[in-house]
Amino acid sequence: MLEVVRQAVEAARKAGADYADARWVLEENESITVKNEEMEGIDRSRSDGIGIRVLAGGFWGFAATARGEDPGEVERTAALAVEIARAASRLPREPVRLAEVEPVTDTWETAVQEDPFNVSLEEKVSLLMEASRRMRAVPGLSFAEAMLDFYRKRSALATSEGAAIEQTITHSGGGIEATAIGNGELQRRSFPNSFRGHIAAAGYEHIRALGLLEEAERVATEAVELLSAKDCPSEETTLILDGPQMVLQVHESVGHPIELDRVLRMEEAYAGTSFLEPGHRGSLRYGSDRVNITADATLRGGLGTFGYDDEGVPARRVQIVEDGLFRDFMSSRETAAVLGERSNGTMRADGWQNLPLIRMTNVSLEPGDGTLAELIGNTKDGMFMSTNTSWSIDDKRVNFQFGCEIAWRIRDGKLTEMYRNPNYTGITTEFWGSCDAVCGPEEWTVWGTPNCGKGQPGQVARTGHGTSPARFRNVRVGVR
Amino acid sequence: MPDPIGSEQIRRIAEAALELPGADGVEVLAVHDWGGLTRFADSAIHQSTAREDTAVKVRVVAGGRLGVASTNDLTKEGAAGAARSALELAEMAAPDPVFPGLAPRAEVAEPADRFDVDTASTTPRARAEGVAALIGTLGEGFHAAGAHETVASEVAVATTEGQFCYAATSQATASTVVSGGDGGTGYAEAWSARIGDLDPEAVGRRAFEKARDSQEPRDLDPGRYEVVLEPPAVATLVAFLAYLGFGGRAISEGRSCFSGRIGEKLMNDRITIYDDALAPGTLGLPFDFEGTPKRRVDLVSEGVVMGGVHDRRSGKQEGVPSTGHALPPPNPHGPFPLNLFLAPGDASVEDMIRDTERGLLVTRFHYSNVVHPKEAIITGMTRDGTWLVEDGEVRHPVKNLRFTHSIIDALRDVEAVGSDTELASEFFFSASRVPALQVSSFQFTGASDH
Repeated sequence: MLEVVRQAVEAARKAGADYADARWVLEENESITVKNEEMEGIDRSRSDGIGIRVLAGGFWGFAATARGEDPGEVERTAALAVEIARAASRLPREPVRLAEVEPVTDTWETAVQEDPFNVSLEEKVSLLMEASRRMRAVPGLSFAEAMLDFYRKRSALATSEGAAIEQTITHSGGGIEATAIGNGELQRRSFPNSFRGHIAAAGYEHIRALGLLEEAERVATEAVELLSAKDCPSEETTLILDGPQMVLQVHESVGHPIELDRVLRMEEAYAGTSFLEPGHRGSLRYGSDRVNITADATLRGGLGTFGYDDEGVPARRVQIVEDGLFRDFMSSRETAAVLGERSNGTMRADGWQNLPLIRMTNVSLEPGDGTLAELIGNTKDGMFMSTNTSWSIDDKRVNFQFGCEIAWRIRDGKLTEMYRNPNYTGITTEFWGSCDAVCGPEEWTVWGTPNCGKGQPGQVARTGHGTSPARFRNVRVGVR
Repeated sequence: MPDPIGSEQIRRIAEAALELPGADGVEVLAVHDWGGLTRFADSAIHQSTAREDTAVKVRVVAGGRLGVASTNDLTKEGAAGAARSALELAEMAAPDPVFPGLAPRAEVAEPADRFDVDTASTTPRARAEGVAALIGTLGEGFHAAGAHETVASEVAVATTEGQFCYAATSQATASTVVSGGDGGTGYAEAWSARIGDLDPEAVGRRAFEKARDSQEPRDLDPGRYEVVLEPPAVATLVAFLAYLGFGGRAISEGRSCFSGRIGEKLMNDRITIYDDALAPGTLGLPFDFEGTPKRRVDLVSEGVVMGGVHDRRSGKQEGVPSTGHALPPPNPHGPFPLNLFLAPGDASVEDMIRDTERGLLVTRFHYSNVVHPKEAIITGMTRDGTWLVEDGEVRHPVKNLRFTHSIIDALRDVEAVGSDTELASEFFFSASRVPALQVSSFQFTGASDH
């Protein structure tokens, strides 16, 4: 499809664009859900089209069409993008400048051992039915759900500066969820993670390694046990979070605040801005010296992994927080130019219908030392929480509150009493400042978050986060 | 403006899928939508977009098994291809013992004024003029961020049971956050099916006045306060209550906060909530995504929980007809109300402030989420205008607070209901038409620094 997007760029230039890029995208999804050993849903979807982005007179314009195979329609769409840019000049602003990038011609694709779209439906359904059956064998369980999701995105990007890039990205995910209902409570346990499991940039080999069947009985048993557990007490205590919960903690309280478009108030109306300012780089203490965070689009297996972003900037690893000190933002060609710098390559669009925005790549808490068992073992008194259920954070990413599926009291280095409905709250830099331990590489996993919302019209991005369990002191838990 | 495809052409495309050999039944959902969004920040247009898309979603029944496939190729070939793919999936699926059959032929109402050609053909330049009018209301030192959107769509559902329904709709919206000065912000939004009825200037003026009156917000300790909630804040409560409570399948499966509590008086006499896609003052389709005509459903009547909404499946489980609230397939969550109303009362916001001894006036909530689904407890932050009210007067703005509170308890403790209603939205939900509320006790559990 490179020829089609090149023609779209040429059409935009003829219509008056000073700069133009065009992306053709084909997205394919397959999703299977089994609930209580019955098919809840089995579906496939396919969508393709072309999005054309232009700069004319220093203003952006973007138009998209599903009829990319029609040259006349592509010409019309390119002209509309230029018309939109010209209409934007109704209100004055500093003309958009783009940081330089070397235009490349290249292809890139996710490393896949076993193409998930070639694995038979029979095998996939059989796995989910068996996982559901094993969960339902636990008395007292209300719902036993198992799910698989597969995603493939093929794209072609051309820019008026000469870039020509084709990429194929493949994601595979699966999980199980056990729900118990009774006594005014609804309790859920998930494995390996909540919200449809563990999704990775990989093929079906990822599904085979998940261990859904092996964990089914434990997950269902814990869901039922939670019904009779005590509510998480309200107190200030030492808190250990497992890797999956650390994903949301990193995502909401680090990943979003470091988006340079939010910092420059471009997202103010919808999801909000950021407590960070450009001058904070190299001076703001984000967390304790145990906190090291990177944004790495080259990380194997991450949902935020690619060869090039949607502006043709090569994937790279960026140090965000180093020994607790804030170092850098995630940027685009436009926002980096505001700071007189080069883009660090984080622009991605949802499908072909939307213009690219700064999106998290794989924003990860780098591993520290030791195992989770050792961390719990050297904690005298505290709480261990596992698996996210909900998240909420203010419009500058300062005050947050998260809910988890389950918690246990830690006494003298051992997990003791189980608690239901655990949650905790904090202030971003205070919380990260209270981090006194991060588990090591043996506990570190690259997780996927396929549902990150941003922008108007709303866009959904697939982001990755490498995390291991971590410990925080003096945290308020059990918010009622 | 893209040319509408039209009812008859969509019917012909759908027929290419309905004629699928080997299927016991076929349902086709066809969508054609287009529009533009002019997005602004720092009082300048920075991201402005236009798009046109189509979709065909085909659900196939074969031997009691179901499969769903979709494509954005809205042609006979695309529809037929999606139907074949759906049949392939159905043949691998296990039988669905609760499958209620596809929607039969039924008349669908045609509400007036749901499609407006001027809205569907609004140009980028016209939207830019609207944004300019909104920004022109700001005082010195203030700036606006927001979006002005005009969209239109054609939606049709066809089934092999003889149903075919088609509707065209349009929608214009303007929303903004105004900030500046010494740290205050303000918010306003407006929705209409007709661009001619939308007043971006009024939206800008209202948000600016809130920003102007929010300057130098002070710290306030969290705790229980009386609250006066303006319509956007009430919309958050109503939308989450629908999510947690009003789905018929969730009620019958025990997942709803109202499971086992239908007929109980859980809220104040002043609270009546219903869903009515056909009423004036809302936006949307007169049929659901299975092709069932929508009808009004009373959800809460004078504080008593009446029940939930149904699609064909949940209706069959409960032994009642579908109320026309199916979402697009596959939909594991079941039916959902998209056109909610909270009935107005007889008070003004000024009355409510006058009756407040010590409390908070809240413009809206931000990034809310569920804490306890069965007790309908949610948490979220205040945003874009929160003030302390003492002795019946607004004293000063306060920094944003985190609430953690049961929606059911809030609606139980209502002291007054506003006489005016507004269409207001909550992040991922459709807009609800709601009034302001005065609530005697609302729990705030934390505070932010701005």
